Amino acid sequence: MRIVVQEDHSIPSIAMYIFYRIGSRNERPGTTGLSHFFEHMMFNGARKYGPKQFDQVMEASGGSNNAYTNNDVTAYQDWFPRSALETIFDLEADRIQNLSFDEKMIESERQVVASERRTSVDNNNLGILEEQLNAAAFTAHPYQWPVIGWMVDIENWTMQDLKRHFDIGYSPANATMVVVGDVTLDEIVKLAQKYIEPIASRGLPPTVTTREPDQLGERRVTVHKFAQLPILMMGYHVPQSADPDYYPLQVLKTVLFEGQSSRMYQRLIDKDQLAISVRGDYSFALDPTLLTITVRPKAGIQPDAAERATYEELDRVKSALVTDRELEKAKNILTADFYRRMKTIDGKAGALGNYEVFFGDYRKLFTAADNYNKVTKEDLQRVAKKYLTEKNRTVAALIPEEEAK
Amino acid sequence: MIRRAVLSCCLSVFVIITASQAADTVSVKLPTYTKTQLKNGMTLLLMEQHEVPIVSFNIIVKTGSVADAQGKEGLASLTAELLRKGTRTRTSEQVSSDLDFIGAEFAMNANTDFTTGSAEFLKKDLRQGMDLLVDIILNPVFPQDEVTKLIQQRIDGIKSAKDRADSVIGRYCAAYLYGKRPYARPVAGGDVSFPAITRADVQRFYETNYVPANTIFAASGDFITAEMRALIEQHFNGWPAKNPPAIRIDAAPPVQGKRLLLVDKPDSTQTYFYIGNVGINRTNPDRVGIAVVNTVFGGRFTSRLNTALRVDSGLTYGARSVFDQRKVAGPFLITTYTKNSSTEQAMDMALGVLSALHQSGITETELASTKEYMKGQFPPSIETTDQLASVIARLEFYGLDESDINSYFGKIDAVTIADTRRIVKQYFPLDNLVFVLIGKASEIQPLVKKYAPVIDTKVITQPGF
Repeated sequence: MRIVVQEDHSIPSIAMYIFYRIGSRNERPGTTGLSHFFEHMMFNGARKYGPKQFDQVMEASGGSNNAYTNNDVTAYQDWFPRSALETIFDLEADRIQNLSFDEKMIESERQVVASERRTSVDNNNLGILEEQLNAAAFTAHPYQWPVIGWMVDIENWTMQDLKRHFDIGYSPANATMVVVGDVTLDEIVKLAQKYIEPIASRGLPPTVTTREPDQLGERRVTVHKFAQLPILMMGYHVPQSADPDYYPLQVLKTVLFEGQSSRMYQRLIDKDQLAISVRGDYSFALDPTLLTITVRPKAGIQPDAAERATYEELDRVKSALVTDRELEKAKNILTADFYRRMKTIDGKAGALGNYEVFFGDYRKLFTAADNYNKVTKEDLQRVAKKYLTEKNRTVAALIPEEEAK
Repeated sequence: MIRRAVLSCCLSVFVIITASQAADTVSVKLPTYTKTQLKNGMTLLLMEQHEVPIVSFNIIVKTGSVADAQGKEGLASLTAELLRKGTRTRTSEQVSSDLDFIGAEFAMNANTDFTTGSAEFLKKDLRQGMDLLVDIILNPVFPQDEVTKLIQQRIDGIKSAKDRADSVIGRYCAAYLYGKRPYARPVAGGDVSFPAITRADVQRFYETNYVPANTIFAASGDFITAEMRALIEQHFNGWPAKNPPAIRIDAAPPVQGKRLLLVDKPDSTQTYFYIGNVGINRTNPDRVGIAVVNTVFGGRFTSRLNTALRVDSGLTYGARSVFDQRKVAGPFLITTYTKNSSTEQAMDMALGVLSALHQSGITETELASTKEYMKGQFPPSIETTDQLASVIARLEFYGLDESDINSYFGKIDAVTIADTRRIVKQYFPLDNLVFVLIGKASEIQPLVKKYAPVIDTKVITQPGF
């Protein structure tokens, strides 16, 4: 296990993140969502600390925790006072080493995850639409299925599946721990030697070799659903975070979507008044992913009018360079966002871990600002022309129905 | 083999909490700040924090949605959002462009009790940022087309929100719990009230409420107090003094008996429900003790509610309870959701957990664990300059001071089992409860009748809440 430590004595608190390099991209049809389910099972008992005890002991020591799973990683977060430091190491080591799989806990947790899916996807129109978008945009690569898993897979995982997942994903060598806060490097080294180093290494997840083939033409998906307002999503295939085009694409996304003076806000919301919101997303990813645009057209506006205006704005950044002021504004926004994220021990721990995982080295966090600053107007035009094309696009539209089925 | 790396600090840090070495005597102390009043009556709170080159502002105008006239719900909130949509010297687009150009974070919102704005600038951009902030607060012109545009967006925004039960259940609950009282009104406005709001209403609301004696201006960050005071005086001394509005919020008594509102959302595969009553205000002398009991009951992952409804039974992804503390008594609520077919089981279980709290109280183990938890989780809530500016502005608004924070750990430690027994009896409703459910009425209506003698129903597509 690689451990990154940043001493920060501003408050008597500590943020610890453990990133396991396993996520829904390591899954297979039939057991989609297993990584996320496993994340839940990591709280349900190990050898020393049995069911419920992980949380009970942590909270009684003043700590709290959370965890998340995405396409690429499963991350565990602990926030606790300095006095709880050794207890947290003991808790984490216990579950990495000796997780137990109790049949009753599995069945109960299966229902919890089903409820989570109902609230985040099935009763959330945006969740439904995004799931459909990804399913259409990716045909070969595992990013096609939802991180939470298809409901039918949630209902059918077995104990065997969980055990295999633990074996391939939870070797210490597959993890990075980040500790930020009121600690010293020495004490973390000592605790890690005591609690983490003795844990035997197991195998690593099989390499994900699948690459999504080039898209050959626009794909469209329609969701008919009881709703009052439509929603549109467009997804464009773009490279993974470690690709050199990541930074120009982030700057371009900022010019287009960030702030009320951004091009899309000005056009769709302010000037043409076609939509109540518009946003762009391009998250960290280990493999080529999607840059998505989400538009909520206003009542009475034909969704295709909002869609056309969106494409016209994309065409504008292809046909002419953005202005110097727009470029500088985007860089200022990104720089200020960066500093804001780094204000808290929690933000620092998350950022260090993400750079370690997605860029291969936590130190690349400190050159991020330089990388943004190097981006030119010409770069923006080039990446817009290369990626934001009709052929490379998948569109998902939620069309309201008046009657629920 | 452990491979390790330590970072040289990429940002320096600020020390805001004193902790003695022994874990059980950790105390918390708010950094010192100054309070002064400008000649025109504006309250100024300044807290130097030099370690990061950032300045955070938090502004409170002491009027919230409780001042909205009946039928004009959303006026306070609309006015707050419209401030940036054009000033005497800048168009809406220019304001946005200037804010974005310095990477500023700016937001102005109303809640029930007050209107609050936050802004944060890098130190190097302070003068530019301050100039903008002042322009937004003192010189808004509320262009007619911006008013019309925003109202239309808000109306559609409500439609969009109603497509998702958990984004609107709080609004239905406020309306049902508070009836004709001010806290019943939807803060962000309603599809019914918006068409009635005019530009003149907005202008009048601004002129009445955005006056110096009704304003708290708090700053925390990398500045010298005397210099910041001079800068603020230079900008705000010219803001003419004016009598502040008289705002009285009628406190609502708890609802007597039991009432249930079922909102039909026919596509729902899950029932979302709130159970509660009128709770406590922000200055309740028992508030720390209440927070301790509520943490045991429904305020953390291992709470009794979450243990019963999630961990032990798998009925839900999460169940919790909250005392929303405001100027006058805000709601106490149990909140969760479950699939349609387990609605009755989950509601019965939530009520069972509440009833058990009354019957057997909380244990010494739970009490000790909760005290550690609350103290352990507190420091990150006053870690940054924006948090600190917000904390001191709110203390001032509620008529409190730094002793509220500085005595917090001591008050937690002092809570006894006897206190918790009294608190359960006094503050956790049992026989008087309001239920609000959003779900598929055709499946769940038959079973909700047992919870209350009074059942009201609505359909989610109907206007209003």
